[in-house]
Amino acid sequence: MNSLVLGISCLALATTIINPAFANGEDQTVSLAPTPKFVEEAKLAGIDHTYDGAWEYFVGGGTAIFDCNGDRRPDLFLAGGKNPAKLYRNISPTGGALKFDIAETSLTGKSLSKVLGAYPLDFDNDDILDLAILRLGQNLLLKGNGDCTFDMANRALGFDGGREWTTAFSATFEEGSDYPTLAFGNYVDRSKPGSPWGTCHDNFLFRPEVSSDGKVSYPDPTGLSPGYCSLSILFTDWNRSGEPSLRVSNDRHYYRGGEEQLWALPPGKPPRAYRKTDGWQHLKIWGMGIASIDLDVDGYPEYALTSMGDTKIQKLDDDADETVPVYQDIAFDLGLTAHRPYAGDDLKPSTGWHSEFQDVNNDGLWDLFIAKGNVEAMPDFAAFDPDNLLLGQWDGKFTEVGKTAGISLDKRGRGAGLADFNSDGLLDLVVVNRAKPVSLFRNVGQGSAEDPKPIGNWLAVDVRQPGLPNSRAVGAKISVKTGNRTVVKDIQVGAGHASGQLGFFHFGVGVAERANVRIKWPDGDWSHSYRVFANSHVIIDRGSEAARFWYPE
Amino acid sequence: MNRRLFYSFSLALLSLFLPMTAAADPELPPWTEKAITKDVDIETLAKSGLDPIPVLQPLGEELFSAKFTTLDGAGRPDATGAIVPTKVRRRGHQSFQRLAGPDANACSSCHNEPVIGGSGAFTANVFVSEGFESADFDTLDPQFSNERNTNAIQGAGLIELLAREMTADLRSQRKELLAKARASGQTETANLETKGVSFGSLSAHADGTLDVSKLDGIDDDLTLRPFSQKGVFTSLRQFTVNAMNAHHGVQPNERFGPQWTGSNDFDDDGFQSEMSQGQISALVAWQATLPAPTIKQDLPDIWQDAANNGETLFSDVGCASCHVPSLPLDSLIFHDPGPFDTAGTLRQSDIETPLALDLGTLDWVKDLPRDDQGRVLVPLYGDLKRHKIADAANETLGNELLAQRFVARDVFITSELWGIGSTAPYGHRGDLTTLNEVILAHGGEATASQKAYSSLDETGRQSIIAFLRSLEIAQ
Repeated sequence: MNSLVLGISCLALATTIINPAFANGEDQTVSLAPTPKFVEEAKLAGIDHTYDGAWEYFVGGGTAIFDCNGDRRPDLFLAGGKNPAKLYRNISPTGGALKFDIAETSLTGKSLSKVLGAYPLDFDNDDILDLAILRLGQNLLLKGNGDCTFDMANRALGFDGGREWTTAFSATFEEGSDYPTLAFGNYVDRSKPGSPWGTCHDNFLFRPEVSSDGKVSYPDPTGLSPGYCSLSILFTDWNRSGEPSLRVSNDRHYYRGGEEQLWALPPGKPPRAYRKTDGWQHLKIWGMGIASIDLDVDGYPEYALTSMGDTKIQKLDDDADETVPVYQDIAFDLGLTAHRPYAGDDLKPSTGWHSEFQDVNNDGLWDLFIAKGNVEAMPDFAAFDPDNLLLGQWDGKFTEVGKTAGISLDKRGRGAGLADFNSDGLLDLVVVNRAKPVSLFRNVGQGSAEDPKPIGNWLAVDVRQPGLPNSRAVGAKISVKTGNRTVVKDIQVGAGHASGQLGFFHFGVGVAERANVRIKWPDGDWSHSYRVFANSHVIIDRGSEAARFWYPE
Repeated sequence: MNRRLFYSFSLALLSLFLPMTAAADPELPPWTEKAITKDVDIETLAKSGLDPIPVLQPLGEELFSAKFTTLDGAGRPDATGAIVPTKVRRRGHQSFQRLAGPDANACSSCHNEPVIGGSGAFTANVFVSEGFESADFDTLDPQFSNERNTNAIQGAGLIELLAREMTADLRSQRKELLAKARASGQTETANLETKGVSFGSLSAHADGTLDVSKLDGIDDDLTLRPFSQKGVFTSLRQFTVNAMNAHHGVQPNERFGPQWTGSNDFDDDGFQSEMSQGQISALVAWQATLPAPTIKQDLPDIWQDAANNGETLFSDVGCASCHVPSLPLDSLIFHDPGPFDTAGTLRQSDIETPLALDLGTLDWVKDLPRDDQGRVLVPLYGDLKRHKIADAANETLGNELLAQRFVARDVFITSELWGIGSTAPYGHRGDLTTLNEVILAHGGEATASQKAYSSLDETGRQSIIAFLRSLEIAQ
């Protein structure tokens, strides 16, 4: 036997050294799921932007991630607060360092001022993404032209953007409607006596009206009263009814007698808030950002609600049924409370904002990102409050890896988004910070900036309804099956903190080489099973026999 | 310096700077029932500059022949044989089970005719399914499994090298087509062909999307997967990782380890880290360097004459259009891990330096013919392409009910016929006892050739049999 062939006891020793977590039982600080490396390169990528301003901009700071020019690569719209918002066009080489240049939007300076957040959607069914812009003052509906320019559509749509301090947005296509229903969430009404305390503004629901000549407008908004200073809202089918309800997360800092809210929206009928008699439990948090995912694939989504202090993870309780929305908080059980900084010496409670479930290491398990940061200089809350990256583990729990992943910067995060900017199959991260430059992290997997390396296999799925209203299939569910395991993701517009995205939906598929993808279309019909290979971008058009492949090369 | 002396010298040099000198495990008694007793650090080996073949081959052969025991972690009480790590719904009562597996003591338990690494008789059939979650309730019913005969592995290293080159070539053609469509702003279509084998056509649109509906005989991702009866496995490494779990319940770390399963003992048999990447590399190296089948020498004149005539007829009736006598191979360097494996099978990106096995150093490779460009002509009698091989008129080879890994039930990769004279029985289920039967079983795309064969007179048909019987795995 030669010197390179070792006795087996040496192998056992090596195994012990490699996996100390197994040697001493449970070690919650060690993630068994692989930790991706993130490299901050905003400046190198050409992104020089800061969200800033007076106390109205202590909140907000969102980003819209969407393809503005039809090249299928995600571009970046960044809110600026007192600074003008900017649209950055993605020119990143495939698999390379991130690169952006500033896109000319053809919008006037006023339109881009006082922006707190933005969400992409296709509100006119031309399959080109448009934008809903949340502002301190008039909100805007911007019709995308497909070349990163936009036309103001407020007047054409009869949409009154109002004068509120708007901090949240969501959209859905109600049953029977060819156009989206829009919900705007508002914060403090500064004009009321006693403001800001107890002076939360109502939220508004805009349902489309279609005239006899087919023209759509949004003439008369419905007030969702009372409003409790919402910072995140989401149309969500919480009870598998096929009828989305509106979940509203509110900031207890300013409201009086308020709570988290859930509004039923029966088609053609006025919205109605769920009350205690409906089973809705009174919950008061500093609600900043909703994230939704169906962790246990039972058809009922779980919700992450960021706050000051502990994050809530809400799951339908055993006492719930399809008409009784009783939730239990399972954050502690899952290791997802993220209630104080995981790095540094500051042990005060932390402040959570944008949250998002994604799979950053492509192991097939959902991970949770939370943007963190002190509101401004609140002394009772942590000043150094790094963003969280909580990796899903095979035991169903989550482990914090923000520090080892390289995202624990001393900035006050607000809005954010995870998207694959360089089309390499690894989700990158953009974080809009208050009063400091935007952070842009490239996910280099198991490698380095110079030599990125993949982790697990992945799949990127874009879903369209060609020739039909609701081109981007908002309200659809994507089901990805590998082996005997299935994960699902809903196509939604809303949630997070003033930040949204539409485009390819990312799935990690671990060691699977193939996947079966099915779509539950917004009308409830299921597609057949599309057979696709991992590590590819696929486009599924409703009614198509096979998925299309897209190659960024 | 002869080869053996060179290696001795090199290894002696290596031992001067490598900290590893353990040759045997002092903790194991000589009568140990453990079968896995040695390992190789492939990162160190790759960097050493040494020829990895003589280092890995002996261990690979030992592992291929080893009857794995529970002391090695054999058995998988809590895991299925599925390619993607999957837990059983309920434990089976028996540690071995011919349907759900584990179903074999050693690789060589089935791969043993006419020599180790060869094919297997019907006795050694396996049941292919990813659906077995319950050994008690999932049954032999074909809705749950396909029954397959054991393939011979001889020459597999060259097969994988051919597949890698063809994959790279096809992907290069795809890249060019996409660039052309993006530049022209319109849809562009190209016929895909590599090494003289056509794989249909591909259309690229200006927006970078592809129409793969006209691809023929290959997966949509243009990865040529040459292994298994179905042609659905990319590499010897991928197949070996699958097989170690499925057939033996020995779970390779690179797929069943904690980073992909959260556990060092996914099958919950009390044994952690059951097989290392070095041990898989040894198995791969041994299989990749197995001598390719050859042609019988010193045939009696009557057989030789018939075989010569049969070889001509084989081509004339159209058999050679799929069972292509040889394909040219540019490079004989077998990198392990290979370039096209994905997560769950060790990838080149997972290590600093892949092993480079130079198959050109092997005597049996040196004996292979070369073309005028110096390329080795691999005499595989195959095209590494999948074909529909059954239809309503001739459904013998369409006897499976389950599609496998997206490939329809009546579609199989062209069997390489080298060595066919040594690998009876025939057909993917191994239920055809003569060559004549399996030829007549060809339907689907092979219908014309089969009919041409059938229309030959008895002498002609016998000549083709004589030719095929001359293709052997040397003993």
